Amino acid sequence: MTHEHDLLRKTLKNFVAKEIEPGARLRDKQEFFDLKLFRKLADLGLLGITAPGTYGGSDMDTLSAVIAHEELSYSDPGLTLAYLAHAMLCVNNLAVNGNEAQKKYYLPKLCTGESIGCMAMSEPGVGTDVLGMQTTAARHGDHYLINGRKMWITNGVLDDSGKPADVVYLYAKTGSKISTFIVTPECSGYSVGQKIKDKTGMRASNTAELVFDNCRVPIENRVGEEGDSVKHMMRNLELERLTLAAMGLGIGKRSLDIMVGYATERKAFGKPLLEFGQIQQHLADSYAEYQAAKAYVYQTATKPSSRLDSDGVKLICARMAKKTADSAMQVLGGNGYVAEYVAERLWRDAKLLEIGGGTLEAHQKNIAGDLEKCGGKF
Amino acid sequence: MKILVTVKRVTDYEAKLQIDSSGTGVKLDGVNMIANPFDEIAVEEALRLVEKHGGEVCVLSIGSGEATTQLRAAMAMGADRGILIKAADKLDGVSISKIITQIAQEEKPDILLMGKQSIDDDSQQIAQMVAERLGFGQATQANKVVIEGEWAMVVREADGGLETLSVKLPCVITSDLRLNEPRYASLPGIMKAKKKPLDERELASLGLDLKASLSILKLELPPKKQAGEILPDVATLVSKLREVEKVI
Repeated sequence: MTHEHDLLRKTLKNFVAKEIEPGARLRDKQEFFDLKLFRKLADLGLLGITAPGTYGGSDMDTLSAVIAHEELSYSDPGLTLAYLAHAMLCVNNLAVNGNEAQKKYYLPKLCTGESIGCMAMSEPGVGTDVLGMQTTAARHGDHYLINGRKMWITNGVLDDSGKPADVVYLYAKTGSKISTFIVTPECSGYSVGQKIKDKTGMRASNTAELVFDNCRVPIENRVGEEGDSVKHMMRNLELERLTLAAMGLGIGKRSLDIMVGYATERKAFGKPLLEFGQIQQHLADSYAEYQAAKAYVYQTATKPSSRLDSDGVKLICARMAKKTADSAMQVLGGNGYVAEYVAERLWRDAKLLEIGGGTLEAHQKNIAGDLEKCGGKF
Repeated sequence: MKILVTVKRVTDYEAKLQIDSSGTGVKLDGVNMIANPFDEIAVEEALRLVEKHGGEVCVLSIGSGEATTQLRAAMAMGADRGILIKAADKLDGVSISKIITQIAQEEKPDILLMGKQSIDDDSQQIAQMVAERLGFGQATQANKVVIEGEWAMVVREADGGLETLSVKLPCVITSDLRLNEPRYASLPGIMKAKKKPLDERELASLGLDLKASLSILKLELPPKKQAGEILPDVATLVSKLREVEKVI
């Protein structure tokens, strides 16, 4: 942890308390992605956190991205998910894999929030088994024709009128291999199929189905070489899982703050809840599990990226976040069940972490596979 | 325009402070330290003035090496460079004012901007002493600062109203709470701050003759508030006020 990381956290704590916390409950209730607030993240330099300064980014490292997701999620995991889709899945991906012309053209606007980006991988029939994706891209002279549908795309739609994302970082099959394309609203045949409504949690972010019907994408919009995308797709998924795990830390910390505060003040049978053994179990277990998860995330964030541990941290943090939020609700009793006390929102948001960016079952499958591959040496 | 801003490292206003074993100081182990909030306002005002009129903002702190944290934070907001005068012992106001005076004489700022007071000692005297030593005009508790040529127009919060002063540059101005709302340090600002110059100097190198003119004899916490009591009727209240509290 350097002085810069420390200062980043302090700045974010202050920003989150003043700018993010006040509207979080309403954004959840109204299922509202607040573009104006999102652009305040840009003013701070958050949208291009890991992108190079030459393209308008902030030149920060993976640990900084972890800190950002952790602190933003403390108040609004839903907004943070939209942030993750933009800054990690689109901006970081482009900054790492795009060519000079692509970076120069797309990154500055993505860093200022003038453009909102997303990444499109999952499909109606394909989630965890991503390599089985059905969307195809066929080369026709100076362009590709893309056909297929993408599902569960965070930021895939920007408002209730169906305005599509400005930049889609799209994975599609070229023959048997996977390639990457940048799709923009100027490309004919690209549209929003539906805005997915009535989500359990993460309601401050938009989720959409995207439709590509003979979508015409110029060849210069291909990222990397044709068919070479699996490796960098997997690498970006590792960052996605690490930052989703960091969101779990934010939820865990908030849940702890809520339950410790309540258990100290609220009395039953003439003494604070904190003095009852059953409540102590909620507090102590939550605290220890939160700290263990945090240590694992920070250890992983400061090492070279690995699939084994990015799956590992998300497996641990998703469950820790949901369990800690559940404990907070239990300690608060009836108050835990209503929105005013925040815990129930964290609980609903935390559930997504067990599904999105890889289900718990996908992580277990990957971890077991990786352990086999390394012959048990890790 | 050159503006020198003082930044003091102080205990967090949310921290629960305890008195140390000597009885004359505060326990600092594990206590969160922050930049004095009035100083952050001063930094913000300096940045705004320089953005408007051009020039440079230099931040100055006196204290332990750890105060680099607060100087770097000010540089992340946008200050151009920092000076840290490293002093191991706690210094009294007179000594601090001599140090700031010496640095101001070296730096020759157009404005010395300071917080109106620090939230730890609350003595509100350094700016006044420094202005006197430098022979500068002073405008304290500013809630508005406008530069007009060789003059600074300063609206200050006085008891029961506002007072508008015109003070000739170079001058000393102190910030009040409502002068501005300090900006967040941006992420690129944080990254740039680590490359900005920070001049760390030992107090002894200034060659000042600093003798303590004040010593703290004793610190006491405010008395603990007693738990309230609900009384059955007015008659009991009156008798309690008369016989227990002895206030009527």
